[in-house]
Amino acid sequence: MDIAVSVKDITKKYSLYKDPWGPIKEVATRKKLHKDFFALLGVTLDFPKGESIGILGKNGSGKSTLLKIITGITEPTSGKVDVQGSIVFLDVSSGIDSELSGYDNIFMKGTLLGYTKQDMLAKIDDIIEFSELGEFIGQPVKNYSSGMKAKLGFAISVNVDPDILIVDEALAVGDASFQKKCMAKMNDFKLQGKTIIFVSHDNHAIESFCSKAAWIHQGELVTYGDAKFVGSMYGEFMSGRKPIESILAEIQYEHAINQVAYAAKEDGFSLQITGILRNQQRKNVHERFQLAIRDDRTGETIMKNLSSANQGFTVDFSEKEFPLFFKPGKFSFWLHEDLEEDKEVEFSIWAGNAAISASPSSGYERFRYHFNVQQNNLHLAIENIEKAEQQVNRIWIEDELLHIDGIAFVRGYETKSPDDLAMKFYLTELNTFKRHAFPVTISETEDITENPAYNPQGKVYNFSRFQVAIDLRRLEIGSFESHLSYIMEKEPHHQLLNLVWASKASEYPAEPYSTEAYTVHIQTANKYLRLEKRARL
Amino acid sequence: MFDIYKEMWKRRKMIQSLSIQEIKREYAGTLLGFVWGLVNPLMRIAVFWFVFSVGARAGGPVDGAPYFAWLAIGMVAWFLLNDGFRLTQKSFRSKRSIIKNTPFPIAILPAVQILFSYYIHLILLAVVFLLTALSLQTVSLYNLQLLYYDFAAVMLLLGIGSMTAPLVAVSKDFGRFLDTILVFLFWMTPIFWSADNLGMYDWIIKLNPFHYIVQGYRDSFFYETGFWEQPVYTFYFWILVFVFFLLGNYLHKQMKPIFLDTL
Repeated sequence: MDIAVSVKDITKKYSLYKDPWGPIKEVATRKKLHKDFFALLGVTLDFPKGESIGILGKNGSGKSTLLKIITGITEPTSGKVDVQGSIVFLDVSSGIDSELSGYDNIFMKGTLLGYTKQDMLAKIDDIIEFSELGEFIGQPVKNYSSGMKAKLGFAISVNVDPDILIVDEALAVGDASFQKKCMAKMNDFKLQGKTIIFVSHDNHAIESFCSKAAWIHQGELVTYGDAKFVGSMYGEFMSGRKPIESILAEIQYEHAINQVAYAAKEDGFSLQITGILRNQQRKNVHERFQLAIRDDRTGETIMKNLSSANQGFTVDFSEKEFPLFFKPGKFSFWLHEDLEEDKEVEFSIWAGNAAISASPSSGYERFRYHFNVQQNNLHLAIENIEKAEQQVNRIWIEDELLHIDGIAFVRGYETKSPDDLAMKFYLTELNTFKRHAFPVTISETEDITENPAYNPQGKVYNFSRFQVAIDLRRLEIGSFESHLSYIMEKEPHHQLLNLVWASKASEYPAEPYSTEAYTVHIQTANKYLRLEKRARL
Repeated sequence: MFDIYKEMWKRRKMIQSLSIQEIKREYAGTLLGFVWGLVNPLMRIAVFWFVFSVGARAGGPVDGAPYFAWLAIGMVAWFLLNDGFRLTQKSFRSKRSIIKNTPFPIAILPAVQILFSYYIHLILLAVVFLLTALSLQTVSLYNLQLLYYDFAAVMLLLGIGSMTAPLVAVSKDFGRFLDTILVFLFWMTPIFWSADNLGMYDWIIKLNPFHYIVQGYRDSFFYETGFWEQPVYTFYFWILVFVFFLLGNYLHKQMKPIFLDTL
């Protein structure tokens, strides 16, 4: 493969002085008075001929410095750059003199790029036509709008026919039709086998246009490879979903889920995951990592150490170990490493080839379990088998006891005697995920049975009223969400678990309940019942 | 040792077209264009003549040459030196936007400014030459010496410019310092006073290479003296230019990595 630009171990150091006399004092006192700032640190990259390569990075990450070193505008502190062919640096404003007319600027820039007047005369018609400036070409550039300036700059740069074109965020200006024209021109370049280096902080532009991409973060090369791969990782970083450490780890290690086996038996749901996790020397690094499963809605996470098994790792999770964790919701799978100083690294484990297998149904599934792989990541969705209808009719607090009075039933499941069903009420603290269970008293009501809107088929839902009493003194300080479990004691013996629906705001205490030690707020803003207990100062 | 000068020679076409563009830029937007390049120096010559000959009554003929013509010829040479010196030392700083954004052999920038100054100089020289030729019949073979002195001036400016431009690019203070030096040089170069006035101390004034050019210009117009008739002074001048060239190349090499970052 031919290399158009080869960058070897480039480092660019800037010395930052606080004091303007710093450099002189430094010579006089022989003390170090500056801070070293590394705009680039040991970057090595090869840009193959005939490809379009993107360079991604936040503002100030060093990507422009890299470009300036490639073009020779700046010299590196150490390292080597080797360029094969002529370079044009397509930066909208560079080499445009605002006093001169557009026409003169074409020659001016041509001269700076090393072309003679005759060379430029041969290209001038193409340039003027491409720039869409028409008769404005004779006007001084200072009277141009920024879009017109960009058009002129772009028209000159692409029409001088360089071997390597470097584009620095230039396409952001100009209207849509001109942008289209530019993209078409750049595609022509690609077809002619020219090299394009495209710099942007927008991964979508790079993913759509480039075949390869490099990502620079704080002066260091994070990764270099397929544009879609690099772009998607950069996107995840920029959207704040992943810290840089996690992405570095994700790239650094070879990781994959090979198999997912799950079962729902009498003692609950269980799950076994096998896969590999190796470093670049192909050594297993299981012992440092844990597999984490996260409830995407609440962030509740369970983790277990990986254990070694035939050349890879295996890890088991079961409902017995983590009661009420595997409940209706969506779950994702991560590799987790604790670093020193409370830092941690987490990245989603690659599952593009994961084989998912379920044990034969035992008839005891409490919920429906769906595993799927999206964008190479494993996801688990858990759903209730049936839908429970519920509503909290009234909430009141008396002598530090919180009373909840509501209705719950499942369409089609008749409740003629109190033994037909059972219910349980749970509060889950949302930071520690500590759970409290509360007994539920079920009593008779004819509200549902007699209401044709709820009961068009004339079934019997007499035992559908539930009451819970919560001793507020025994709750810790914190924020709680509430679940109601609905257990059918007859066929089909389903057990449903739902967040508690509470949409009758007028029937609930509007004011917080206060004692000398704490206050309790009832929150139903998003229609699900939450409690918050705060200490009083 | 002479890398930057080799670069200039290699890019002489580029220097040529950049200096033409510099003229366009300089007079862009004016209607009279380069006429302003003529009016301003002629006006200054007239003012100096008035101040010294009418105001200070010091305007007697100098070794037989009328004071006004003598002053004008000296000033013509001086304007070349003055503009070249002033523009070259700023040549990196004033072209900052190009240096920072365009891959480009920046070593040629001082030469561009010198050529630009030289074009302006040629226009002025042509006008003054015609005026003195018509009024004083100064035409002689010795006028051809002007080609030599122009060459000498351009080489001197190139040496000085190559030294000062990188230093000014690194330190703005140095630029201010040079502006001050230039004022000093203007008064210390015998332009409206004759070096003969110093008597036996005129060698001090002769150490100033600018004097070599100014004096050479007058020799070519009024005194029919060839540069070969003062071989020691000529030798000294060229040795000095050679040293400037060496220093210029050295300073450019040393300072370039610094000013590329700090400019």
